[in-house]
Amino acid sequence: MISRSNIFIALAVWVTLLQGCTRKDDPQFANYINEPVKSQVRGLDPTISASDLYTGLVMGQIYEGLMQYAYLERPVKVEPLLSDGMPEISKGNLVYKFKIRKGIFFHDDPSFKATNGKGRELEAADFIYSWKRLADPAYHSDGFWIFDGKVKGITKWREDAIKIGKADYSKPIEGLSAPDKYTLVITLAKPFPQLLYVLTMTGAWALPHEAIENYGGEFQNHPVGTGPYKFRSWVRNSKIILDRNPNYHDDHYPTKGEPEDMNRGLLTDAGKKLPLNDGVIFWELVEDQPRWLNFRKGETDWVEIPKDSFDSAVKKDELIDEIKKQGVELQKWTEPDLTFDALNMEDPILGKNKYLRQAMMMARDSAAVIQKFYNGRAIIAQGPIPPEIAGYNPNFKNPLKVFNLVKAKELLKKAGYPDGKGLPEFVYDTYGGTTSRQLGEFFQHEMAQLGIKIKIHDNTWPEFMDKQKKRKSQMFGMAWSADYPDAENFLQLFYGPNGSPGPNASNYNNPEFNKLYEQTAVMQDGPARNAIYQKMVDIVAEDCPYIFDAHRKTYTLNNGWFKNFKRNLINLGYIKYYRIDQQAKKELKPKL
Amino acid sequence: MTTNQPGTGLWADAFLRIKKDRLALVCLLIIILYALVGFLAWAGLIASDYSAISNDSYAAPSSAHWFGTDIFGRDVLLRTIHGTRIALSIGLVTSLIAIPIGVTLGALAGYFGGIVDEFIIWFYTTMDSIPDLLKIIALSFVLGRGLLSVYISIGFTTWVGLCRLIRGEFLKHKSRDYVQAANAMGASHYRRMFIHILPNVFHIILINFSLRFIMGIKTEVILSYLGMGVEPGQPSWGIMIDDAKLELARGVWWQLVAATVAMFFLVLAFNVFTDALREALDPKLKNK
Repeated sequence: MISRSNIFIALAVWVTLLQGCTRKDDPQFANYINEPVKSQVRGLDPTISASDLYTGLVMGQIYEGLMQYAYLERPVKVEPLLSDGMPEISKGNLVYKFKIRKGIFFHDDPSFKATNGKGRELEAADFIYSWKRLADPAYHSDGFWIFDGKVKGITKWREDAIKIGKADYSKPIEGLSAPDKYTLVITLAKPFPQLLYVLTMTGAWALPHEAIENYGGEFQNHPVGTGPYKFRSWVRNSKIILDRNPNYHDDHYPTKGEPEDMNRGLLTDAGKKLPLNDGVIFWELVEDQPRWLNFRKGETDWVEIPKDSFDSAVKKDELIDEIKKQGVELQKWTEPDLTFDALNMEDPILGKNKYLRQAMMMARDSAAVIQKFYNGRAIIAQGPIPPEIAGYNPNFKNPLKVFNLVKAKELLKKAGYPDGKGLPEFVYDTYGGTTSRQLGEFFQHEMAQLGIKIKIHDNTWPEFMDKQKKRKSQMFGMAWSADYPDAENFLQLFYGPNGSPGPNASNYNNPEFNKLYEQTAVMQDGPARNAIYQKMVDIVAEDCPYIFDAHRKTYTLNNGWFKNFKRNLINLGYIKYYRIDQQAKKELKPKL
Repeated sequence: MTTNQPGTGLWADAFLRIKKDRLALVCLLIIILYALVGFLAWAGLIASDYSAISNDSYAAPSSAHWFGTDIFGRDVLLRTIHGTRIALSIGLVTSLIAIPIGVTLGALAGYFGGIVDEFIIWFYTTMDSIPDLLKIIALSFVLGRGLLSVYISIGFTTWVGLCRLIRGEFLKHKSRDYVQAANAMGASHYRRMFIHILPNVFHIILINFSLRFIMGIKTEVILSYLGMGVEPGQPSWGIMIDDAKLELARGVWWQLVAATVAMFFLVLAFNVFTDALREALDPKLKNK
């Protein structure tokens, strides 16, 4: 029975519990970065969790690859990390010769029995071993595509392993060789201009075979790499602590950046040895509200502003004074991503009728979507290529990407369905989640204005993916985020042979487009390639396999003590650049 | 001798008792009101433009919008009214599915006993060993989303309780004198079960109907909240509460309040009325 005294007791218990949740500042973590993670982190094995962004953010501090992205320069570009200088590239762009930096050591770990637990020096052979592991069918890695069909002989090596049932690591791969301890030669089956980009990615990092042999399946809980941080502990669904690697190799804060970086204080630490902090604590905060409140208490150093807390923090595109006074800074970032509604080109009605698709495109009010769902934090997508990406053309205006119901109705008439008469009811798939459903409801409303009837089908995420892979969805909303800063990553979404289960979700197949894509796939970045890219964008803009929606912007807040913050989602090894201003933290934290 | 005295049979007596209970009458009135609103909404006579979108997103309650507007500027009051239609239809249709199943199986088991009884007990025990919500969710995965599949999944999974009760009553009644007498007069099994015994256990069905009506409404709200209920675009209370989950952070409370208040009064009225009904009909509670 609930009585008033019971309620008071419950309240008292609740308040005590809440207080118990507030952390006392532990002096040993004074110089640690407190980093929020938006999603649960999976096992810390780069081969297995290769395509999981959030796990990658943690692993990116422990492991390293041959290349990394320059921290400050934009548009982003690759620079050597474990490679000693840029590779020598043969004529014809087929052979890449890397020199591995000398004096790079793995973290100290009991697995290195020959050296009594001291970390062993990195060799070229470590990369070959790690990439064989990526190709090993036993690991079911979703990161293998980065080398699949590109590095000579690697696909054959994998197929042989599938045939025999076991991968033979002693068997060489034709395209990978180590003539000496510090030289790695990659031979490609065909030119692959994005090779240097994919070498920064999770699947291409160097792993020590000793630790994998020692820990077996437990390797994902005992990560051992060459990176600036060593693994200390992991409380599942709560936090992961990494400590500074005392033996970290010579790595320095960049001295070059964008022109305004100097004024923003991003070059204060230019040339200093990295890392600039003692470690990092990743807080797994999946729900929006706890993540937001933790930041507001100063428990994490920065946060993306969640959609529903936006109005309470930002007015007229500026941070409200009350928060500004606490030393908090607002920063705005354009993300290399694209949101869209895909139309299945294999559908007998949608796929056969260009005017119908064009009518739907013109009935889509992306400005309203941006207002309602992204708090105005996005720009309307004219085509597939987002800003910040090589090949993006800021002057391109898609003639169909204008919200105009009158013209849309004309197009629908031209399509043979005046006012939607004669069209069956279409099914629009969404995946479980309130926002996804609301997006669907808005799409349904917009199409209803044309007379097109839409039924929303709410799926679970696996159901949703499965339907897409089997080409059963008629239309659905999705987003694509860049894997690397090259427009090719977005144009491949329309390449015929990439149809589902590949990334071409609308199963668009246009011989003219395919030909151009194949032509550019082996071309290096430059005006010639950009001109063809624009032709390809024009083709898909006219054909409308996607209803383009938006390129999102992210607004972040960071505390005044948090320095050197420059967001770039494709750069995974970023914590080493962050610095805590101890003096500022002492002054500002009590104000929160 | 003939008299003009009103009869004091079970039903007449119950009617008199309920008439005396003010609270129960008020609750009955509330239920009738909800039913009326639901019917009018179904007929399209009120709240027909519940899905009209305006530019007035998240407007606070005012004289133009008594319960404010939602993310797309749709009137929350109109959506709540339409939610009533959906809630009531779910209560009604699922009862119409579950009660015949429960009564028939319970009657067969209790009346015939033996192997029939054993089979039916085995069947409903198996059904009952799976938690209801899991069964409903599993069924809605198979049937797909939508109002129809909610009807079916709730209707076909929630008859076990009633089946047990009816079986027990039939066990008791089948050896009573009046059934024996009917047997002696050559009444068929069917006649004994449904003409003689059933009217004597009908009050249980009525009480159960009222109880599971509430259960049906609540289940739909939970399912829709989890994204497995009625089709998106339909303004069910569960979908409204699901929307409100995100809006609360920006101080938009009216959608949550409208849906919960609407549900609260309906469920409360049903609960109080069911209690009164039971007191009026159950011989054990009658003379308290």
